[in-house]
Amino acid sequence: MNRTVLFVGVIIAAALVVILFVGLGKDPSAIHSPLIDKPAPEFSLREVGTNKTVDLTQYRGKPLIINFWATWCGPCWEEHPSLVASARQLQPDVQFLGVVFQDKEEKILGFLNQRGTAYPTVVDEKGKTAIAYGVGGVPESYFLDAKGTIRAKFVGPMNGDIIQENLQKVLRQ
Amino acid sequence: MILLVLLLSLKVPDAEQFVGPPKGAPVADAQLFQRTREVASLLRCPVCQGMSVADSPSEMAINMKEQVRELLARGYTEEQILKYFEISYGQFVLLKPKSPVIWILPIIALVVGAVLVILKIRNLSGGPPSPPAPPPLTPESDPYVARVRDLVGGDKS
Repeated sequence: MNRTVLFVGVIIAAALVVILFVGLGKDPSAIHSPLIDKPAPEFSLREVGTNKTVDLTQYRGKPLIINFWATWCGPCWEEHPSLVASARQLQPDVQFLGVVFQDKEEKILGFLNQRGTAYPTVVDEKGKTAIAYGVGGVPESYFLDAKGTIRAKFVGPMNGDIIQENLQKVLRQ
Repeated sequence: MILLVLLLSLKVPDAEQFVGPPKGAPVADAQLFQRTREVASLLRCPVCQGMSVADSPSEMAINMKEQVRELLARGYTEEQILKYFEISYGQFVLLKPKSPVIWILPIIALVVGAVLVILKIRNLSGGPPSPPAPPPLTPESDPYVARVRDLVGGDKS
């Protein structure tokens, strides 16, 4: 009897150790999205400060990084220089698009004028695009391949290394 | 005029792209308010700590609730609306898990745990078998006892 109890205890403890080990090894920023390996939801949104419409389909043919952000989000301020630097370095082989939601036009323009930009930014008026992409908070970035399929998602502020790392997932496909 | 053209050219991802055309009847007026609240209470606010979309005051939840309202008004069923949000956010967004395993697992774990505890308690209270009690000492069985009884002059029984 004691051996049975010991055996069951060891099995349960081993299962817990495995679960904890796997969980601890995971990157907390690498949130699984059900949209990975699925076609990116399509949208046409207005570019900030202009009356131009930016359509997602116009980005087909080259990898695209869609960055959801807002001016009220501190980590977005933090990652902005890295995004701009990466865009200047990687464009035109890799394209960048900013999507701002839950924000005001004048604040977005003020931010971009003050801190600079190297790629278009569009406004998601009622957050419908963010919802379709499963955005839970900002910043969140989606990495699309040349065919418009989402290959990676990153939650939180990115630096150059994170951008490169996630781009590799796109280029590996 | 330019603004009108611009507005017409804007397009946001639509539920039809994910779950097909509406399968129900459009809901309106007071019933729309009631149904919006009911369906929104089944969705988790992604930026809150365990709050439903119906209860959260966050802007994200307000946008999601507005989208629920719009989809109900267009005739989307509760099932279609939940599926639409699940496609974007995963099962995380559903406050009521789809799989019954989630509910059954704790009960199974409880039963297994209780059985193990009961078996352990029974094992401890039973203990190893005790050796048989020695037969009582009598003058007939032990000469030493008989001799002691003789010396003290006591009862020989």
